[in-house]
Amino acid sequence: MGNLLQVKDVKRSFGSLRALDGVTLNVDEKTVTILIGPNGSGKTTLINVITGLQKPDEGHIYYVSTEITGWSPQQIYRTGIARTFQIPSMFGKLTVLENLLVAEKNHPGESFTKSLVKRLWAKHERDAVEKASRILQLLGLFEQSNMPASLVSGGQMKLVEIGRALMSDAKLYLLDEPVSGVNPTLAHEIFARIIGLREQYGITFFIVEHRLDIALQYVDYVNAMVSGRLIAAGPPEQVINDAKVIEAYLGA
Amino acid sequence: MQLVTLSTIVGWLTYSALLSLMALGVTLLYRTTKIANFAHASFVTVGAYVTYTLTITLSPNPYVGVPVAFVLVGVIALLLFYAVLEPMRRRNSSTVMLMIATLSFDIIMLGVMNIHADYLTNVYVLPSRNVLLSGSDFKFMGEPGLLFVALGTLALCSAALYLLLNFTTLGIALRASMENSSLSEAIGINVSMMLAVSWFIAGGLAGIAGALIPLWTLINPNVGTLLLASMFCVSIVGGLEQTYGAVLGGFLLGLVDVVGTSVLASLVGPWVAFYEPVIPLLVLSATLIIAPRGLAGLRVRRGK
Amino acid sequence: MTPLDQVILFVVDLLALLAVYLIINIGLNIQEGITGIPNFGIVLAVAGGAYITGGLSTRLAVSLLRVQTNLDPIFNNIAVLHLVNPILRSQPPTAIAMLVLFLIIGSLAGALMGLISSAPAVRLREDYLAITLLAFGEILNVIGIGYKPLIGGPIGVNLPDIFGWAGQYRFYVGTFVLLLVAAAIFAYAGYLIKTPFGRTLKAIRDSEIVARSLGKDITRYRTTSILLGSLLCGTAGSLWVLYSGAVTPTYARFDWTFLPWLMILLGGIGSNRGALVGTVVFVALNKLIVYYKYAFVGILPFDIVWLNYLLLGIITILILIYRPEGIVREKVTAPKLNLSAANKEIQSS
Repeated sequence: MGNLLQVKDVKRSFGSLRALDGVTLNVDEKTVTILIGPNGSGKTTLINVITGLQKPDEGHIYYVSTEITGWSPQQIYRTGIARTFQIPSMFGKLTVLENLLVAEKNHPGESFTKSLVKRLWAKHERDAVEKASRILQLLGLFEQSNMPASLVSGGQMKLVEIGRALMSDAKLYLLDEPVSGVNPTLAHEIFARIIGLREQYGITFFIVEHRLDIALQYVDYVNAMVSGRLIAAGPPEQVINDAKVIEAYLGA
Repeated sequence: MQLVTLSTIVGWLTYSALLSLMALGVTLLYRTTKIANFAHASFVTVGAYVTYTLTITLSPNPYVGVPVAFVLVGVIALLLFYAVLEPMRRRNSSTVMLMIATLSFDIIMLGVMNIHADYLTNVYVLPSRNVLLSGSDFKFMGEPGLLFVALGTLALCSAALYLLLNFTTLGIALRASMENSSLSEAIGINVSMMLAVSWFIAGGLAGIAGALIPLWTLINPNVGTLLLASMFCVSIVGGLEQTYGAVLGGFLLGLVDVVGTSVLASLVGPWVAFYEPVIPLLVLSATLIIAPRGLAGLRVRRGK
Repeated sequence: MTPLDQVILFVVDLLALLAVYLIINIGLNIQEGITGIPNFGIVLAVAGGAYITGGLSTRLAVSLLRVQTNLDPIFNNIAVLHLVNPILRSQPPTAIAMLVLFLIIGSLAGALMGLISSAPAVRLREDYLAITLLAFGEILNVIGIGYKPLIGGPIGVNLPDIFGWAGQYRFYVGTFVLLLVAAAIFAYAGYLIKTPFGRTLKAIRDSEIVARSLGKDITRYRTTSILLGSLLCGTAGSLWVLYSGAVTPTYARFDWTFLPWLMILLGGIGSNRGALVGTVVFVALNKLIVYYKYAFVGILPFDIVWLNYLLLGIITILILIYRPEGIVREKVTAPKLNLSAANKEIQSS
């Protein structure tokens, strides 16, 4: 076990708004960490910066001791980091199954030249479909496999988001509010599965989440952010009882 | 050997003034309606035939058509807006669909203009194709009056537009809906009417430019179509974020086009003139590759 | 010619036009319907295929058939063809081989045109792309008219008589070949949608941001799509001039940009079957209109063809307002999971 992700003193402003004001945190391998904080504290920006959708103004980010600061989203995806979006965006006219299949990495059938010869990609496609159907089962989306993604419910779209991330065989998953809008039973199930995946495949999760009532029992660590800074980090009991955290949540 | 003569300069300034008037409308519409207006081609053509028709039937003064064209084409633009684009906007049509709609309207107007030309020829026995009015122009200081009228009109229209956009309530509301239409809607601005105003103005400007064209080159019912690519080039080169980019783009493109062709022709031979239409495309490509922002500065992708 | 012959010739000609337009529409559909690239300048690719095939075919025939002559294939076109055509007429296999060669060249020319016009704008937003592609579409006509050595200037040139060996059945054979090529391309387009490549194109169309965050190289996919679509348009242009036997620099925006858009809109953007339906409905209807327009000649003081413009423009607008999705909706072509079988498997594992 060692540090998987290191964020060092990252700053990012939008005009005069300091979204990230010197954030430093570490994520250990094979852990489940959640990031909490009031709205506007910079949580989504942090994820965007880590995954390359936005570049930090200052600071460094390391993934397994390689510096990934400033890398493009494509490069970061290929390195083994996957993320979901807070507001899920579907490939509307593709089916739920296809939405997951697109997330498959290194599919030979995606190259134009190789796509011309079916034999070159048929097997990979079959395997991908199998993997996708297992993930859909896990998320309770199996019945919707052949539906156009634009027709599923908002909660189901969140699940498709997660499913897409799971297709990537990534080692680090950054999930942005994965169970908001999902009913509590399913939310518990999802978190349970996440723990299961961690146990079985050694995957690391870094999750932005508000629903502490559900999430807290599943996590190893909690990080708390306020106004672009990390104010507490540690095991759940420690952080929950931290004075600064209580003030941030109950104060203004 | 003198590469650049006075007449080349005159040609450059005239052509640029006309292009700028056309492109002002293109840019204005792009900023308000977020689409490229294919029908601008026929707006110009209608203007041209207004002048021509009036001149050969009623009044020998070729400039009489200018105010008439302003109003007529403005109204035609409003027709396109209210009859076609508004219904589509209400049904949430995509930008591509809206552009196809303007293309279709352009096709309709192309048909109308051709019918008009046929009518003139068959019923009134008047020439209506490949016609030129520069002979009716007055001369001032030895140069065609068109030069002064075109530049003067451009200056006048630019000033009027500037005053409108910055010093009138209407203009400020118009600018607000350009920047953020949903917010403008929320604070009570009638965005639909703002769009209509912008279409009227853009159409009017195209009409004016079109009305001056018969004095500069021979016209056909496809005169606007031939200029469409140049209009778009000018808008992009000038930069789509600033309405006045159209003027910058117009003079730059005019320079490269008229003066460039003339210089090349003197150096290499007159056959170069045949490829003159390629020039706007070369300038456009160069701009997109080197400085996609255009002359006035432009963010190519909204948000990052 | 008996009335029956006239009807047959009418149908044969109709089918040829249908085949050519179907290929173009599929090429356009791949770009717009599948990848979401609004190519308003496909006339460039069509004209490219037509001009290059028209301009080079005589020249190539002369050198490949080893015809001894000092005459220029373009400027002395008729005289040169006088020497070339008898050879082609007497050797069908050679003629067919030449046909294939010309088609390949025309298609590549189309792809090249696609590349040239897309390069500056493929990274930009879709409306920039639209404007740029439109602007480029206008350019080739100018070159065709001005640069005489290409296709002889405004008059144009003839092509080698590729189907001449069929004698009086020339047009039947020609139409058959066109339909064959069109059918093959239609079949390929259906296959394309089912491949992962096609799926990724659609994903990019639906949500570029998500596709990018999943590691897809957007620019490369878009470029490939434009190249492929333009290649097909070039093929169509090439086929058309080979079939008609002549090429002139009159590739108007109306015929080769507006009409294909109308046809795929009519049929339903995004669907290949839609492209087929739209093409058939439109070509048939249009041919009938044109055929009967002669009834109006003399009554109206203007050329009837302009009524066509009015009619088609209005029809397109009506479709855009009242039925933008067209006749055929986009079909779901995903691999379907057999839910019951899979359920059993999961339960037993």
